[in-house]
Amino acid sequence: MRWLLSSALVLVWSAAAAAKSFTGNRLLVVLEEQSEREKYSVFLEDLTSRGFTTKVESPKADKLSLFRHGERAFDHVLLLPAKSKGLGPAFTANNILEFLKLEGNVLVALSSESATPTAVQSALLELDISIPADKGAVVVDHFNFDSSSASEKHDVLLLQRPGALRSDVKNYFGGEGYIAVPRAVGQILGNDSPLLSPILRAPSTAYSYSPKDEAEAVEDPFAAGEQLSLISTLQANNAARLMVLGSAEVLQNKWFSENAKISGKSIKTANREFAQQLSAWTFKETGVLKVGKVVHYQDEGKSKKMNTSLAIPENNPTIYRVKSDVHFQVEISEYSNDHLTPFVPSPNDNIQLEFSMLSPFQRLNLSPIAQTTNSTIFGVAFKTPDQHGIFNFRINYRRPFFTNIDEKRQVTVRHFAHDEWPRSWQISGAWVWIGGIWVTVAGWLAFVAVWLYSAPTERSVKKTQ
Amino acid sequence: MPPKQRTPAATGAPSTPSSTPARSSKPSSNNAQDILQGIWNKYVDRTPQRVKLLDTFLAFLVVVGALQFFYVVLVGNFPFNAFLSGFSATVGQFVLTASLRIQTNPENKAEFENISHERAFADFVLGSLLLHFFCVNFIN
Repeated sequence: MRWLLSSALVLVWSAAAAAKSFTGNRLLVVLEEQSEREKYSVFLEDLTSRGFTTKVESPKADKLSLFRHGERAFDHVLLLPAKSKGLGPAFTANNILEFLKLEGNVLVALSSESATPTAVQSALLELDISIPADKGAVVVDHFNFDSSSASEKHDVLLLQRPGALRSDVKNYFGGEGYIAVPRAVGQILGNDSPLLSPILRAPSTAYSYSPKDEAEAVEDPFAAGEQLSLISTLQANNAARLMVLGSAEVLQNKWFSENAKISGKSIKTANREFAQQLSAWTFKETGVLKVGKVVHYQDEGKSKKMNTSLAIPENNPTIYRVKSDVHFQVEISEYSNDHLTPFVPSPNDNIQLEFSMLSPFQRLNLSPIAQTTNSTIFGVAFKTPDQHGIFNFRINYRRPFFTNIDEKRQVTVRHFAHDEWPRSWQISGAWVWIGGIWVTVAGWLAFVAVWLYSAPTERSVKKTQ
Repeated sequence: MPPKQRTPAATGAPSTPSSTPARSSKPSSNNAQDILQGIWNKYVDRTPQRVKLLDTFLAFLVVVGALQFFYVVLVGNFPFNAFLSGFSATVGQFVLTASLRIQTNPENKAEFENISHERAFADFVLGSLLLHFFCVNFIN
């Protein structure tokens, strides 16, 4: 009976855990006017079906707070554009940043049709993301626009799904089809921050301007070309994620599967899948790396199978000798929507192990040596350096769109013990001097023998003198 | 020591060349070979047998030490402790043997009157055993 109950509990628990984000499923959707909820209904339903418990609230609702008892009250926040310029006391810039510090994830959707709240604007400025200050600034492109809905204004951009940011970075947002980015607010990313990475850049023919300027030609655009980012991300060092989505309409039902026309060609937008990819990444359903067991051991010639069971704790040696052979293995999984999968780095990329004391003495590429259902086991063998001290096995792996890995295991590296040096006769170079000693000893023995034997002769010599 | 003996022999030989019958058989000359021959003969004649034995051993040690030294110059000193150990065994043995020679040489009797030859030899044996023990340990 008890067994039945516990297995039923496990079943329920696993069903609940089957589809949700890696860090939690409490999602707060901030929407000022509840009437606008209909516009996002498909997106919100998709989120619910993926296991999020969504709570749609007006930013000025009573008792709404991102925190409770010093912990975050929600795991994820989706900020949809609001009509008013203020967001109320629950969403000050400070609160948003504090929420990121507590590893909450934020998806900020902007729209050129409503002013960006000051709190959001200054929070983004804090993170080195700048957006145009004036209300209504919009990204237009006279080459990549939807001619069926924006034949005049050219402010509905039709863009191909983005490719990988770099050749060594995994692309979570790619796929077939065009996405419609209507009335977007472009962003400029600061050059100094390594935490920022754009997902979707504007095409080189796009520019951002404010339509309120009544001039014939745009004289001073906010930014132009690929320096404009339409969707940009920030992943903080604590792996909290923030996504700035230039156009909230990307998430609206209207554009999820709309017929559009680009340069005479009729297409269907793929916004629904793209919105799912964007939210999945921001709310940590994808791109989360998890380090399992770290094993290192002295290579004594016999092979050692890694015990990946989490029930058995890591039982690694704490001390090694200089110039000894050491094996290192680490288990890394990638979280993919609802389960852990073996992590496969991009072909141009390597996870590296550092064996360091202040600075690395060894920096080695880890190669995959085995795969379990949930993880890849990476390993490398090397020789400890000829330097004793306190060393770290360290894996520091930071890539855009992946959570950071920074694992350390500290060990002592000692020098040779006095009986670990090779004996003299094992070194052929020493044979000459070993010979020297023993020839001296043998000569001495012969001398002593002859000396003792010749004792009487000495007396006779003495007598003769 | 040979020089000490050599001085009276060398001075004796030119001053009274005809007094010694062994040398008078040959024509007296000052060429180097004759001088050396004279020195050698004197040494063979006058040196006690045990001192000759000591000298032989010393010469042997010099040869062994020189071989080791040339080897280290030509080939290199890779296990340096082995070189130190082997070379110092030979040098140390040379020093100890030289000490024994000084103490047991009848010519130095005046200076070492209170040290019997047996005592000197016992010191020598003990010192040598200690030296060999340290060298074998040091070479590992």
